[in-house]
Amino acid sequence: MLICTKLEKSFDKELFSNFSLSLNPGEIVAITGPSGCGKTTLLRCICGLETLDSGQILLDDIDITSKPAEERGIGLIFQKPVLYPHLNVEKNLKLGSKDGDFAAALEEVNLSGFETRDVATLSGGEGQRLALARALLAKPSVLLLDEPFSSIDADLSEKLVRDVRSILKERNCPAILVTHNITIADSFADSVISLA
Amino acid sequence: MINKYVARSSVIIYSLLIIVPLWLALDRLIWVAGYDVIGWIESLERNYISQGVLEFTLIQATLSVVLTLALGIPIAWQLGRYKWPFQSLIKSLLTMPFVMPSIVAAMGFMTLIGENGLDIRSERDTWFATLIIAHAWFNLSLVIRFCEPVLSTLDPSMEEQLRLLPSGRTKLGRIRHLWVPLLMPSIAAAACMTFVFSFTSFALVELITLGEDTLESMMANVGSSAGIKGVMVSKNEVILGASLIQFSILLVSLWLMSWLQQRRQNLLPVASENVVKRNNITGWLIVLPALIFAILPLIAIMISSFRIRETNSTGSTQYWSTEGWEYAFTATKSLPSAWDALQNSLGYAIITLAIALPLGWMLAQTIRDLEQVKPRIARILDVFTMLPFAVSSVMIGLGVMLGMIKINPQFFYSFWLTPVIAHVMITTPFVVRIILPALRSLDPSYDECGQTLGMSKFKRFFLIKIPMLRGSIIISSIFILAMSMGEFGASWVVTRNSDWTTLPVIIDSIRAIPYNNPLIVPAANAVSTVLMMIALLLFISTEKFRPKRDGGMF
Amino acid sequence: MISLMMLSGCISKTIDEKIKDEEKNPEEYVWEDDGELVIVTYDVTGLTDSMINEFENQTGYDVSLTKLEDAGSILNHLLIYKGVQVSDLAIGLDNTYLQTAIDNGVLWEHFANFSNISEEALIPYEGPLAVPFDQGHICLNYDTEIVDGVNMTVPTSLWNLTEDEWKGKVAIPSPETSSPGRAFMTATVDYFDNDPDNQTDWTDWWTDMSDNDVIITTGWSEAYETHYTGGYGEYMPGYVGDAHIVVSYCHSPGVESWYNGNWTKSAALDLPRASFHQVEYAAAVEGGNLGAASAFIEYLLSQEVNVNMPTENFMYSVLEGTDLPEDGGYRYHSIIPTQAAEINSTQIASSMENWLQDWNEAMVAA
Repeated sequence: MLICTKLEKSFDKELFSNFSLSLNPGEIVAITGPSGCGKTTLLRCICGLETLDSGQILLDDIDITSKPAEERGIGLIFQKPVLYPHLNVEKNLKLGSKDGDFAAALEEVNLSGFETRDVATLSGGEGQRLALARALLAKPSVLLLDEPFSSIDADLSEKLVRDVRSILKERNCPAILVTHNITIADSFADSVISLA
Repeated sequence: MINKYVARSSVIIYSLLIIVPLWLALDRLIWVAGYDVIGWIESLERNYISQGVLEFTLIQATLSVVLTLALGIPIAWQLGRYKWPFQSLIKSLLTMPFVMPSIVAAMGFMTLIGENGLDIRSERDTWFATLIIAHAWFNLSLVIRFCEPVLSTLDPSMEEQLRLLPSGRTKLGRIRHLWVPLLMPSIAAAACMTFVFSFTSFALVELITLGEDTLESMMANVGSSAGIKGVMVSKNEVILGASLIQFSILLVSLWLMSWLQQRRQNLLPVASENVVKRNNITGWLIVLPALIFAILPLIAIMISSFRIRETNSTGSTQYWSTEGWEYAFTATKSLPSAWDALQNSLGYAIITLAIALPLGWMLAQTIRDLEQVKPRIARILDVFTMLPFAVSSVMIGLGVMLGMIKINPQFFYSFWLTPVIAHVMITTPFVVRIILPALRSLDPSYDECGQTLGMSKFKRFFLIKIPMLRGSIIISSIFILAMSMGEFGASWVVTRNSDWTTLPVIIDSIRAIPYNNPLIVPAANAVSTVLMMIALLLFISTEKFRPKRDGGMF
Repeated sequence: MISLMMLSGCISKTIDEKIKDEEKNPEEYVWEDDGELVIVTYDVTGLTDSMINEFENQTGYDVSLTKLEDAGSILNHLLIYKGVQVSDLAIGLDNTYLQTAIDNGVLWEHFANFSNISEEALIPYEGPLAVPFDQGHICLNYDTEIVDGVNMTVPTSLWNLTEDEWKGKVAIPSPETSSPGRAFMTATVDYFDNDPDNQTDWTDWWTDMSDNDVIITTGWSEAYETHYTGGYGEYMPGYVGDAHIVVSYCHSPGVESWYNGNWTKSAALDLPRASFHQVEYAAAVEGGNLGAASAFIEYLLSQEVNVNMPTENFMYSVLEGTDLPEDGGYRYHSIIPTQAAEINSTQIASSMENWLQDWNEAMVAA
C-alpha cells in the first residue's frame, strides 16, 4: 500500500503542494491535468528520480521518501519506450530480472516469440509492451506510467490500454497513470485525480 | 552520476599531471631568468637564435592555411556535391595524411624532394615551399572533414529555391548567398585548426627547413640548455618569452574554435537523407591528383627504405637491398635498435591508454554532472581540461623535462614511464572531447529506467552506460594509441634527457647520424614505414567505428 | 598562467639549496662499482662498437653511451644534473668548455695511470680533473676548385669574408653549442686584437659577417657536410653546398685525401692567429663510478688505442712522438698553422661567458 502525504515541489513556480494520495493494493489511479502542470514530476518524485521539497511517502509502512530510486521497488514506464539498443528483446528483459520466465512474460504482453528480435524493429506499441513486461519482471510494489500511450496511434492505443489494465488487474499490481487524455484516464483507471 | 569523491580525485589527478609539471618548469625558468615579462618577450629579438623566429612562424602558418583552404575546398566540394564510386574509401584516403605521425610526414617529404624523388633538396628556396605544401598535405583532411558533411547533407530544396530567386540566378550569386554563409563556419574552424597545427609544427620544420626555426622548434633546440642557474640565462628568457607568446596565440585560437564549433552546431542546416547526387567525370581532375598527392609521400618512404645509394668521388650506384632495414633493427652502442624503440612505444601507448581513458572519462562525466547543477563551474572545468591544447607538445616536453626530470633526475631520468606523463597530458583532453558529447547525447531515460528496474550504480555503469558508449570508447582508445605512438615533440625533448627512446624519436636519431653512411636514409625510412603501418592500422580501425554524421572534430 | 608565476622561482631555489647542502665531498666519497660505465659524449667517431667491446672484454665493465648533440650539450648535461649526475665519464669537452665544467665542480679526480702524453697536449690543462685524448688545430678550410684565384680569391685577411663576394658563402658552427665553433670564436678574439686596425674589434667583424649572411649552424657536421662544397658532403643526401669556406680542422683536407685515395680539393687556410689549438678531454664525472671511468681513460690513452686517433677519430693523438699517417696523402694535405691564436686557459676561464654574450649581441646587431 502506497501512502503519499503532503507532497510539495516547486521549480521556479509551484508544481504541486499538499498533494496526498493513498493507493490500495490492486487499485489503479489516473492523474490528469494539462501539460506542464507537474504530473510527470510528481510521478518521478514518487519513484525517486527527483527529490521532493517536502512531504512523506510510505510504501507498505516503510518510509521511502529519501531512498534512492533503485531501492524503492517502484517501476516506471516512460513516455517513449526505453529500449536498450545494444540488447535484443530477451536481454532487455534480463535487465528486469536475471532469471525469470521470459517466455511467459512475453506471452503476457502478446509478444510471444520475440526473444531474439532486435529492439529497433519493434513498433511503438510493441516497445511499450516490452517495457511493461520488463518492468513487471522486476516485481514492483507499484507501477507508475508516464503517458505511455500518447506516442501510439489512437486505435492501437485503445487496445493497449485495455490489455495493460487487465494485466495489472490480474497481477493485483497497484498503478498510477499520468495522462492529459481524459478518455484514456477513464478507461484505464478506477479513479481519476485532477492536478489542475 | 559520479561519486563525489571519484569526481574530485579525477580533477585532482588531472591537475597534478598537467599543472604541476608545467608550473615547476615555469618556476625553474623564472628562477634562472628572473621575473620580467616584458624582458622575456624582448629577449626574442635580442638573441641571435630567436631573431626573426616569431615572424617566420606567423608567416608560414598563415600561408599554410591559405594553401590548405585553396586545395581543400574544391576537393570537399567535389566529394560533397557529387556521387563517387567508393565514396568512403576516397574520403578515407584523403583524410589519412592527418593521422600520420608528423615525423613520418616529414620523412615523406624529405624523400620526395631528395635524391630518390625530385632531387631539389639542394636549393634552399624549395624548402619553404615544401614546408607549406607539407602542411597543406597534413591538414587537407580537416577541410574535407568539416566541409564535406555540410555539403553532402544539405537539403536540395535550399539550393533549388535560391536558383529560382533573383539573387540566386547566377553562380556567383549562389556562392554569395548560399555557399559562403553555409560553409563559412566550417571553413573558419578548419582554418583555425590548420593555423594551430602549422604554428606549432615541429617535425616538419626541423627536418625540411634547415636553419629556419619556428617558436616550437627553437624552444626544443634551446631547451636542453635551459634551467641551469647562471648559465645561458638569456636562453631561459627566450623560452619564457616564446612560450608566453605561443600560449597566448593558441588560447585565442582555441577560444575562436570553440565559438565557431558552437555556431556550426547551431547553424547546421536541415539534413536530408534524400539527397540525390550526380556523377561528375570532370571532378576526377581534382580528386585523382588529390588522391595521388595524399599517398605519394608514403609510397616514397616505403620505396626509399629499400634503395641504397652509394656516392663517392668516382660516381654513384643505386641498388635494391634490405640492408637499411637490418641496420635500423640492430642495436649498437651508440643507438638502440628500432626493436627496442618499438617495444617502448607500444608499452608507452598501452599504459597511456590505461591512464588517459579512465581519467578522461571521469573528467567528462564530472563536467556532465556539473552541467546539470552548476553550469558555470562545468564550463570552467571544461576549459581547464582543454589547457594542454594551448600548450604545444614541445612545451609539454619542456614541462616534463624541466619540471620533473631536473627536479629529481635520479628518479625520472631512469624511470621508464617518464615519457608517459607527457603522453597522458597530450591525450587526455582528446578523450574528454570525444566522450563528453557522447555523454551529452545519451538520453538520461536509459539510466533512469535502469534505476526504476532496481539496478545498482555499478550495474547501470557496466551494463548500460559502457555498452551504449562503446563507439566513443573505442574511438578514444584508438586515438590515444595513435597519438602516443606518433608523438614527436614532447618525446623528442624528454627522451634526450632520459634513458628511453620511442619510435618517432629514433627515426630522427638515425636520420641525424653524421658522416657518410649510405644506410642512414634507408634505415630511417624503414622505421618510418613501420610507424606508418601502425598508424594506418589504427586509422582503419577508427573508420569502422566512426558515426555516420560527424560535425564533430574528427 | 599569470597567477602561477606569482610563486616564481621558489621551488627551484629550495631544491637547489637542498642539493648544495647535500653536496658530496670528493675526499669522503666512497664510490660504488656497479660494473657499469655510462659515458656522456657527442658523436665521437672514435668510440666505435668494436673499440668499446674490446674494452668491455678486457675489463668486464658494461658500457653504455649517452649521445648528445655536441660539446655544449655535454656541458649542459653535466651542469643540469649537478649533484645528481647520471653518467660516469664525459668525453668531448674541449679546452674552451672545460673550465666552466671545472668551476662548477662537476668533474672529480680520476685515478688512471698513463704516461707518454706530449707536452703540447698538456698546455691548456694538466690537472687531475681531465685527461686530453686527442687534439688538433681549428682552421678555415676552403674549396680550391672554386676559390682558385680566378672565380674567387683566397682570403688574406678575415675581413675579406665580409665582402660581397663571400655573401652567404661562409659556414661557421655556433660557439654557443659547438666546440670547433667556440674555438674559432676564441681565435677571432685574438686575431682582431692583433690586427693592424685599431678601431674595430672582433665583435665588429662578427656583426659584419652577420650582415653578410654568414651561415651559422648548431654543430660542425651540419656546417661541413651540408653546406661546405669542398668536402665529402656532396656525396650525402641533404647536401646543399652553398658555402665555399668552413670552420674545420687544419688536418681535415688530409682526412679527405686519405678517404679519396690521395686527392682532395679542400685546403686549410693558414692565416696567423686565425687558428686555435684545440684539445679534447675525457673527464670523470662527480659522484660516478670512478673506477670504471679511470679504467676507460687508461684504455683511451693506451698505446694501442690512442695511436689510432688519426684514422679512427680523425684527430691527432696526444701521445708523444706520434704523427699523422702518410698514406693517402693524409699528412701531406694537413697543415700545422704558422701561428695559432694566443689565448690561454686563464683568459678563457675568466672571459668565456662574456665573450658568448658579446658574440650574441654582435650577431643580433646586424
